[in-house]
Amino acid sequence: MGHTYRTVTWNRQKRIYDLVLWSGIVGYLIVFMVVGGLTFPNVTIETLLLRSTSTCAFLLLHIILSIGPLTRLDTRFLPLLYNRRHMGVSMFGVALVHATLAFIQFHALGDLNPFVSVFVSGTAGDILSSIPFQAFGALALLILFLMAATSHDFWLSQFSAPTWKRLHMLVYGAYLLLVGHVAFGYVQDATSPVPGVLLGIGAMWIVGIHLAAGFRELKYDRPVAPEDVSADGYVRVCSVDDIEENEAVTATISGERVAVFKHGNRFSAVSNVCQHQNGPLGEGRIIDGYITCPWHGYQYCPLTGKSPEPFTERIPTFDVRVEGNSVFVSDHPNQLGEEGQFESSSSDDSSSIP
Amino acid sequence: MVETIIGWLLAAWGIYLFCGFVFGVLFVWKGVGNIDPDARNASIGFRLIILPGVAVFWPIFIRRWRSQVSTPPSEKTAHKWSAS
Ligand code: HEM
Ligand code: FES
Repeated sequence: MGHTYRTVTWNRQKRIYDLVLWSGIVGYLIVFMVVGGLTFPNVTIETLLLRSTSTCAFLLLHIILSIGPLTRLDTRFLPLLYNRRHMGVSMFGVALVHATLAFIQFHALGDLNPFVSVFVSGTAGDILSSIPFQAFGALALLILFLMAATSHDFWLSQFSAPTWKRLHMLVYGAYLLLVGHVAFGYVQDATSPVPGVLLGIGAMWIVGIHLAAGFRELKYDRPVAPEDVSADGYVRVCSVDDIEENEAVTATISGERVAVFKHGNRFSAVSNVCQHQNGPLGEGRIIDGYITCPWHGYQYCPLTGKSPEPFTERIPTFDVRVEGNSVFVSDHPNQLGEEGQFESSSSDDSSSIP
Repeated sequence: MVETIIGWLLAAWGIYLFCGFVFGVLFVWKGVGNIDPDARNASIGFRLIILPGVAVFWPIFIRRWRSQVSTPPSEKTAHKWSAS
């Protein structure tokens, strides 16, 4: 990154984000306990705490898993993505309270080592009810812990973004484990159909929006047709008018997406992959002369691919050529840090570099 | 039987984390600045916030610290491969 790490790099946006997030969490817990206590006067405060924190964390997990696909479907959801890591760490915190309460209430006082007890206790009897559903919860908690513990930018840098992202993809494993945790816990003690129905709706929602977002992605990843490649290795990407001012069009070239930006009647192309968390630069805009990532705002010069000082990120650039009404991009990236050749759409344009 | 095996696995995990924690305290205090220049002047808050992760992933950091790696790895994308 090129500057000293801070514990949390606070700014106004993050403060508002966390304020809304934590008001929501505290509000949910209070409403759950009050309504639950009034509706079921026989339920103990421990049970209310256990169930309010568990459902709060599980609901947050649904929101977290929805943010990615939702931003792919509609950019208005981008503000949610900006500080998703704080939501993840908060979710882990709430889940940890639930797990600790369950640990104290159901395991700490038995004869068996309480940690072992979490992994073996199911009510004996038929197969279904002997499944130790709490073991699923414990494994999910381990995954959530690994993600929370590696959420600082330090880890992104030490692991490199692709590996870090692979680690954080484990969240889907955690989700599956939790579906098992809730489902097996539920069938062992089902008194009402409501939790089962809610669990099913949640799962259909998660699968549904991922499929919807996936189909949209397919459109972007269509390989270039052979007739669109010129003899000297330039690929026709789009026509001049397809790109809005300060925005980009993407195409898959040389194994990855390339984003072709238009700015002040000029065209320049960079690799689409943000160096921070591999956000889609082509969905960002040019702001103050720099390509600005839609996810967390990292910036890159459209001509050199370099981040402005004091940052040190660099992304590959591609040469661009305009012929007639068509925008062509070289099928091979330039050396890192090397300025790409760019083209004006009008021949009289001689304005300087942004 | 199952209980004994789970007991051993959990004990092994506990020992692993304990070793990681002991190493981690030393590492976030003295070592982290050597392997990542951005961490050299970082605050105590930063050091504490990375400690739980170091307690898990400590074998990586023992290796990087010992082999005097001084900067984090740089990632490779399809474009970066063909650009170098
Ligand atoms: C060591 C880890 C965990 C233990 C020991 C544990 C234990 C339990 C127990 C005993 C129940 C049944 C409670 C009841 O009858 O009211 C339960 C339910 C539940 N747990 Fe966990 N859990 C763990 C981790 C998690 C995690 C990480 C989540 C994440 C969101 C979670 C979410 C839920 C949900 C949504 C329910 C169903 C609602 C409820 O009955 O409270 N649990 N868990
Ligand atoms: S992915 Fe975070 S700024 Fe681009």
